[in-house]
Amino acid sequence: MIVSELILPVALVIGVLVVGAYLVAVLDEAIAGAIGMPRGGSAWLAPLTQGAWLLTQHANATEAPDWQAWRLAPALYLALAAIGLAVVPFSPTLIPTDLVTSVVLWGSVEALATVVIFLHGWSANTLLALIGAYRYVALGLSYILISMFVLIGVALPAESLQFSQVVTSQEGLWNVIRQPLGLPLFLIVGLGMTFWGPLNLADSRDLAGGTASAVSGPPRLVWNLARAAMLVAFSGAAASAFLGGWLGPWLPGPVWMLLKMLAVLAVLLLIGRLVPRLQPERCVTLMWVVFLPLSFVDLIWAGAAAFFL
Amino acid sequence: MAVSWLQRLAARAAVPVFPVRGMHGEEVLYRLALTPGIKLVDSPRHASILLVAGGVPPDQHDALRRVHDQLPGPFATLWYRSEPLDELAGATRLDDPDALPEALKTIHRELMSGKRGSSPRLLPDEPPNPWEGLGDDGHGGKGMMGGVPYGRPMAMNMTDDIRDGLTLDSLTVTLGPFLPMLPPGLTAEVTLQGDLIQSWTTHSAPYPIALESVFFQALQGPVPIAELERARARYHLKRLHFALRLAGLDRLALEALRLAFAPHPGQDRAMALRRRLVRCGFFRLTTTGRGRLDENQARRVGGIAARAPGLEEDLRSRDAAYRRLEFTPIIQGGADTNARWCQTLAEIEQALQLADQAERDAVHTQRSDGVETPRGPWHEQWPEEASDLLDDLLPGLEWDEAMSTLASLDLAPLSPWSLEETSGAPVPTSVEERRA
Amino acid sequence: MDYPLIVDVFFVLLATLAVVSGWRVFATDSMVRASFFLLVSFIAVGVIMILLAAEYLGVAMFFMMAVEMMVMAIFMVMFMMNPAGLNPMMMVHQHKFSIAAGAAVFLVLATVALLAEFPDSPLPADLDPVASLGDELLGDSMLIFESAGIVLLTTMIGVVVLSSHRGRYGAADEGSMPPGLVPGGDPAGMPEEDDEGDGHHHCH
Repeated sequence: MIVSELILPVALVIGVLVVGAYLVAVLDEAIAGAIGMPRGGSAWLAPLTQGAWLLTQHANATEAPDWQAWRLAPALYLALAAIGLAVVPFSPTLIPTDLVTSVVLWGSVEALATVVIFLHGWSANTLLALIGAYRYVALGLSYILISMFVLIGVALPAESLQFSQVVTSQEGLWNVIRQPLGLPLFLIVGLGMTFWGPLNLADSRDLAGGTASAVSGPPRLVWNLARAAMLVAFSGAAASAFLGGWLGPWLPGPVWMLLKMLAVLAVLLLIGRLVPRLQPERCVTLMWVVFLPLSFVDLIWAGAAAFFL
Repeated sequence: MAVSWLQRLAARAAVPVFPVRGMHGEEVLYRLALTPGIKLVDSPRHASILLVAGGVPPDQHDALRRVHDQLPGPFATLWYRSEPLDELAGATRLDDPDALPEALKTIHRELMSGKRGSSPRLLPDEPPNPWEGLGDDGHGGKGMMGGVPYGRPMAMNMTDDIRDGLTLDSLTVTLGPFLPMLPPGLTAEVTLQGDLIQSWTTHSAPYPIALESVFFQALQGPVPIAELERARARYHLKRLHFALRLAGLDRLALEALRLAFAPHPGQDRAMALRRRLVRCGFFRLTTTGRGRLDENQARRVGGIAARAPGLEEDLRSRDAAYRRLEFTPIIQGGADTNARWCQTLAEIEQALQLADQAERDAVHTQRSDGVETPRGPWHEQWPEEASDLLDDLLPGLEWDEAMSTLASLDLAPLSPWSLEETSGAPVPTSVEERRA
Repeated sequence: MDYPLIVDVFFVLLATLAVVSGWRVFATDSMVRASFFLLVSFIAVGVIMILLAAEYLGVAMFFMMAVEMMVMAIFMVMFMMNPAGLNPMMMVHQHKFSIAAGAAVFLVLATVALLAEFPDSPLPADLDPVASLGDELLGDSMLIFESAGIVLLTTMIGVVVLSSHRGRYGAADEGSMPPGLVPGGDPAGMPEEDDEGDGHHHCH
């Protein structure tokens, strides 16, 4: 019992997160190379050498940081990624934690991520990190709202707040077709909450790395790992909510799930490399004036579809 | 101690270099940006090598010491065409740009394997403003007033809010001279509310920029227009590289740089670059129509900043040779960041097109009493240094807008030396002396 | 009731965490830290609610409190004269009154806990707490919750409209002037400017 209820789920989550985060780094490196960035070595080795270098680098101090929060924030972000992935079903039976409110739990992971990212920037007690923290908070709320409406949209046809039920409800038709606005909006949320690519406003280059600008050594490694892990967890949520999770012919369910997660990751990383970083003010306007109303439309669409179909 | 597998792996990582951009040090950094296996990072915390490229004036040595001490150990320094600080007399010095990438890689490898010790700390590791003790409310003062815990006074928002009424407490900081987002050498005291710039006081101007020698020759006699125009395009492409990198478009930033270093950059490649910038949304997503110069400011900055809002100021139109090439100044209709970038890209294309045309007919300039530099007209005097206009321009902008505005403005004074001199033979007298 | 011992262990741990982090709220010297200690306390309570089979309410507690504490921290930083909340400051004031109030509230709650009769009927095995909460919200009390929901939705749409750059009488950052009552007249609904110059207006 202990094996099936405790060890297996924990091993599954940790395994997918670690391998997934590594693949995110490799994939990102490969995409960068493919579109013409100069490459030093092989994409498979680059994340490992970078990690090894960060492990040998000393962790620095700033003047009077909030030590507890500063050191805990990367670990907490990683923990949130693990919690997020823990509610993602890999097959009808292989679900790390089959909570009946798993969709809501994913929403709280997004909300708590805001707190953790803010703390990471605020506790360093330096200017650029602080600006990054403020920026994320100012935008985080709009990501959470969009995500909430989009996720209620997928919960409607499933008549459940459970990811496994959401997947089951897509047996006839995947949500990506049934609710065409849902996946694009949710991908925006994903880029936002991992502050990746065009929505990297918390750790951006105009802030010399933002919340991570004053971090070095192992804490920075954990932070980078946590961001990649959160991207993996997000791809799991997106694949279950919109791409039919484990559903698919010929191959076993978990394989389908992993393939779909990889597809979501590839799309996100490609966007990250091709689109410039949005100006924060433009981003706020887009979120509240374009994407949030679109998420209302998505919800109404989902409701009407669930009612009439 | 035996070298562990971890260290061996770490030695193979891309070499993370934090560049301190001293005087005339930028040229070599563009080359490094194109070198595989070297990563120029934006924060000293993310580097294992501090590369001081170019001279640093003595009054900014303290700032340099502070940057030096921010690198986490183990780290080393490399001084490219720069005199090491007195305390670091034994540090590696290098004057040959071609040897730089290999030197950086070697230093990194030696650091990781423990063959080279970490650079010593230069400043005492103690807070510059020690804790001031508890007061009435725990901040060291009386009531809610007074008290400067950690040297940071309690915020007193006495000025009107300049934007939306949602005021975060103001925080005053000194930025520069080595902050990678600012022009090198620029220092400013900035008051921020959240990420909104409330006041900006420029303390010292950016370091002078060196132009290619062809612009100097143009003041002495006829020079081939093809050469002059290609040099102009190169200058603008390097600035574009900086802005694109800032906007998170690493790939296109490198494309701009590759075009700048191409032996015969064609107009078609510049046009392709512009099309890709339009397609990926650089103009629409990364600017918000801020950073607007009024007419006087635009005239003062000169060059692209003047032509973007529609001032047809271009010394080239006075030259008969240019007129024969059917040159007319390009103008845009706006004075903001976006218009300046549209103007820059248009001028790059125009310069490359003029170069192709002039090369066919071997056209030379005819007037040598003045030259239109990429930085503005150089007639009787050089384009003046205009960084103090930032004090009026930047307040009210968000940090990101302010940084992209700064990138789009070319405010640095021109160096009395040419680019070839500064990156070729060693400069005889130090720049600081001649400037003073 | 039949449940494993581990539930008791977790209850004790979480309850301790909730109380200790609640105490830390008042012992810390920073507004931001105080907000997030309170958040930790709420999260511990949320997990206890999940242990009590109130799964939806427990999880809802996480995201409600995360956003609320975040907003609270930012608002405190905005209202207090403390740059970015980075400077240390005392989080407790009016010591005598607050000690008395705290003791009184503790006594009342302790009395309730000790003297009240809690229902002891075991939950039916097939109870679905999310569905029953849904029935409660959308069954008998539907009118109340739906009207609250509509009000919230209106508020949200209002926020979207307000955060838009375009105002009713022009772009937000240019300052808006309502049109005059007669063509070319003074802006309607604007009070006459008095020339007393009491320092409210700073002309730039």
